[in-house]
Amino acid sequence: MPERNTPQKTLESWKQIAAFLDRSERTVRRWETREGLPVHRREHEKQDTVFAFKHELAAWSRARTRCPSVIERAEPLLAEPASNTYLTEHDAITRAMHRYIAGARAGDGDLMRPAFHPCATMSGYCQGVEYSGSIEHVFQWINQNGPAPNGMARFARIEIIESIAVVHLEVQRWSGKLAGADARASDVFTLLKWQGEWKITHKLFHWHDQMLPGAS
Amino acid sequence: MSHSEYPTEYDGIVKTVEMYIDGSKQGKSELMRPAFHPDASFFGYAGDQLASGTKFLFDWIDKNGPAPGIEPRVVSVDIVDSIAVVRLEVAGWSGQLAGSGVRMSDLFTLLKTPTGWKIIQKAFHWHAGG
Repeated sequence: MPERNTPQKTLESWKQIAAFLDRSERTVRRWETREGLPVHRREHEKQDTVFAFKHELAAWSRARTRCPSVIERAEPLLAEPASNTYLTEHDAITRAMHRYIAGARAGDGDLMRPAFHPCATMSGYCQGVEYSGSIEHVFQWINQNGPAPNGMARFARIEIIESIAVVHLEVQRWSGKLAGADARASDVFTLLKWQGEWKITHKLFHWHDQMLPGAS
Repeated sequence: MSHSEYPTEYDGIVKTVEMYIDGSKQGKSELMRPAFHPDASFFGYAGDQLASGTKFLFDWIDKNGPAPGIEPRVVSVDIVDSIAVVRLEVAGWSGQLAGSGVRMSDLFTLLKTPTGWKIIQKAFHWHAGG
């Protein structure tokens, strides 16, 4: 049950985030870049002005304990902060995408929720049936699917046009109660820079090797 | 998707995007509505304001009126079986609301449906200073 985002439930610096998780600042920064630790940045302030919600960190921590391989397989890049504006945006987008990937591997919809805009939607076919609507359907599906620790995501495309972006993910070895075994998916995400953070506004998906309407 | 299907899918996708372009040019949302999926969404900033929802888009197009001088260019068309992404660059936007000489970048995501390729989301960036 998420707690309300009252000011008292917010951590206002890397130091406070590190103390909350009982780790060093270096470790929690690495968790953010590599493992989707949900850390937010304030708009109109310098890049390293961060804050975090305790309930989001707690959800992340629970999933990490339950499904440690979420972490080990994560992207080995992004160790250092970027030196130019374009790369800073690129890194912010990959961080948002890693929240999605971490949630998918852990089978935890709440873990990926911070990566999405509140009005986000989804669309695509599952076993020949079209599903279009609220992103809540994705979170529910992820929860029902459960852990998919071997899921392997590759960035096929990251294209940024100022305030909007498109990310194409190729996912292999997807598994779980609903996904089955060794499934492959192509996902196209549209993102919007909203209140200083990149948020996914739409997830479009294609499951490979499934029946399509009108396919001959 | 086999090699020979690619041009067919490509043409279907571009045809759908052209309905958007025709509607924009003539200032008539009715021309572009059939290109959009019933659940389509729309996102982007008009100045500092976040615009969202296809209703906003269609109302805007109708109020903006004709924009005969737009110069649209398809920058990329990426197709993965039932889904696709199109990047469109449009220079020379004009009209009651657009003003003149405005440049817009659009990202369309499309879904293949039994009645053809439909736009499921349009995200745009309005370039300040044209």
